[in-house]
Amino acid sequence: MRLTRRSLILGVAAALGFDPSAVPRSPGGRADAAPALSRSQLEDLVAFAEILVGDGPLSPAERDYLVEHIERRTTQGGGYYLELYRTSVGLLERLAGTRFSGLDFSRRLALITHNRLSSSTVRPEETLGRFPREVREVRTRAVPDLIGGYYASPAGWAVVGYSAFPGTCGDLARYTSSER
Amino acid sequence: MEAEVAIVGAGAAGGILALALARRGIRVVVLESGPRHDLAQRPEYVRRYVRGENPWATPLASLDRYTVGGPVPYHLGGKRARGVGGSTLHWEGYALRLHANDFRLKSLYGIADDWPISYQDLEGYYAEAERMLGVAGVADEPWAAPRSAAFPLPPFPFSYSDGLFTRACQPLGIALHHLPQARNSVAYAGRPQCRACGTCQVCPTGAKASVDLTHVPQAEATGNAQVLTEATVLRLELDRSGRVSAAVYARPDKLQQRLNARVFVLAGGAVENARLLLLSASREFPGGLANRSGLVGKFFMSHPSIEVSGRAREKVYPYRIGFSTAMSRQFAIERDRATRGAFLLEFLNSAGPTPDRIAVASGQWGEPLRTRVREEFGHWLGIRVYAEQLPDRVNAISLNLNVRDHFGSPAPHIHYIVGKYERRALDEAKEVAGKILAAIGLTDVRSTGLSFAAHQIGTHRMGADPGTSVVDVDLKAHDVPNLYLVGSGCFVTASASPPTLTIAALAVRAAQHIAARLRPASSGESTAHPAG
Repeated sequence: MRLTRRSLILGVAAALGFDPSAVPRSPGGRADAAPALSRSQLEDLVAFAEILVGDGPLSPAERDYLVEHIERRTTQGGGYYLELYRTSVGLLERLAGTRFSGLDFSRRLALITHNRLSSSTVRPEETLGRFPREVREVRTRAVPDLIGGYYASPAGWAVVGYSAFPGTCGDLARYTSSER
Repeated sequence: MEAEVAIVGAGAAGGILALALARRGIRVVVLESGPRHDLAQRPEYVRRYVRGENPWATPLASLDRYTVGGPVPYHLGGKRARGVGGSTLHWEGYALRLHANDFRLKSLYGIADDWPISYQDLEGYYAEAERMLGVAGVADEPWAAPRSAAFPLPPFPFSYSDGLFTRACQPLGIALHHLPQARNSVAYAGRPQCRACGTCQVCPTGAKASVDLTHVPQAEATGNAQVLTEATVLRLELDRSGRVSAAVYARPDKLQQRLNARVFVLAGGAVENARLLLLSASREFPGGLANRSGLVGKFFMSHPSIEVSGRAREKVYPYRIGFSTAMSRQFAIERDRATRGAFLLEFLNSAGPTPDRIAVASGQWGEPLRTRVREEFGHWLGIRVYAEQLPDRVNAISLNLNVRDHFGSPAPHIHYIVGKYERRALDEAKEVAGKILAAIGLTDVRSTGLSFAAHQIGTHRMGADPGTSVVDVDLKAHDVPNLYLVGSGCFVTASASPPTLTIAALAVRAAQHIAARLRPASSGESTAHPAG
């Protein structure tokens, strides 16, 4: 690993128990490390996705698939997804008045339902409350992205009964029968 | 640097030629503009592929610049792969022989042109190509031309959905048969049996044949073949006798180097072969090397394609394998092709939306979303159609002087149209596919718009007459005595079938011819078979 001033600061932050990804980048600093979401931001996004994709708390493996999706988006999607996800987390926190992932499932569900944050479309005549720009961003971009990320993962294939799917190798003969 | 034979491109044709020549003790250097893709990288490539990325993308992206023109743009993006293995890195693996009639459209139907060789001339080389690549199949196609040897591997069994198609086709008088493929139905030639990974454009196990696995390492192991990667040939130079004396190439640092050889073979695909000839224009060949006919780049062809699909009431279990196992060539052969274009039906094992697409399109969330995905997935069946495209001089590769690649070379420009002949064939194919799907009882039958296979064909057609063709029957350029142009660029017509097995058979044949020139005493040696 290349030793830079920033990596030294991140190392000290980690040693002191801080989330390294929450350490701000200096305005003129070089992009010597990929920008990332903080651990708490990641947890809030997963907690949001958990409401969107199913009917109850996700398993640790399912949560890992979502984390993988979000991290891939932020490292490969340029700044677009980073900004989208931060907007989403910021909106959730403002609506909740606290960290969104700190709420239990039923309170998160109620908050999302009340604020209609689960719909991926916005009707022209629809009023979007106190934070219209953020709500529109979250509904039209973050919601389909998180739903798509989950259902493209092994968790999504498991929903349709497939334990093997494109990208996993297995029994060659399986395709010849009606067994999944 | 010097070689006896310089080969430009390490794809299907180049890789096969390199091995065939190296085994005869001929010193070969292969100049490949892309990198090596190690088999150990494939699992990571699979992860990228399922995320919708192209793991075969060229590191120097500007090498793949191109422009399009004409009423129906033919886009090359994702339709080629640079690197050791070439397009066999990402091909479907479908390994079909052409039918005897495919070589004789002019004689039989009065359209297009005949090839200067027949199916019978090529039959032995087809058998050799099938053995080298490990083609799995069974001779159950009623119209197939005679074979001198059985398929080397047993066929992949029909899928669950093939059974539905079979039952629907029988009363319609449509015969469905196995789709031959260069993919291991059982372990073969040191490569494992297919494990149904479902990502055949990136085969993670090596069960699908690609020449980076089946030919290039074996050629290098002889000690007679050397492959230079990320070495892009910029032009060919002539000596005063009119023979090619050197290939001028450059690595990404743009430093130009020369490879001298006795014989030069262009194996870079139909587009790049034509482009390199045009880039090699000289005082003697102002219109491009080997282009006294004016036909270099002309008669570009592909396979216009559509997919017709419909929804079944019951589940049909798609996405459990990455390739198709059944097809019908009934409409590619059994007809008067003067008026009715040939088309091939491929019965798809994967059709309809995947879980993520259903989920995103549903607009739902929570439990209703989960229920919707569970209920909606797995109901779609589809048929892909490949139509034969007739050669048309208007369809052509030229140079675009306004768009240049990493080395400053003009990019290829593709002018492309699809004529009435092909459109009528697609219309008929759509009707036939619709009848099959209706016979299964599918609803919501729909057709995609026009697309094109990743097959680039024509551009340096073969023929006996130097005035109407670019290469002769041995794939030697009419105008340049030590220059060979191999690959699908030399095809006279496209048929409706994928070209790779014919590329391979012609490469085996060309290797035999080149070896006979360079080593007259050993011309009968080893891998190449005499014509059947």
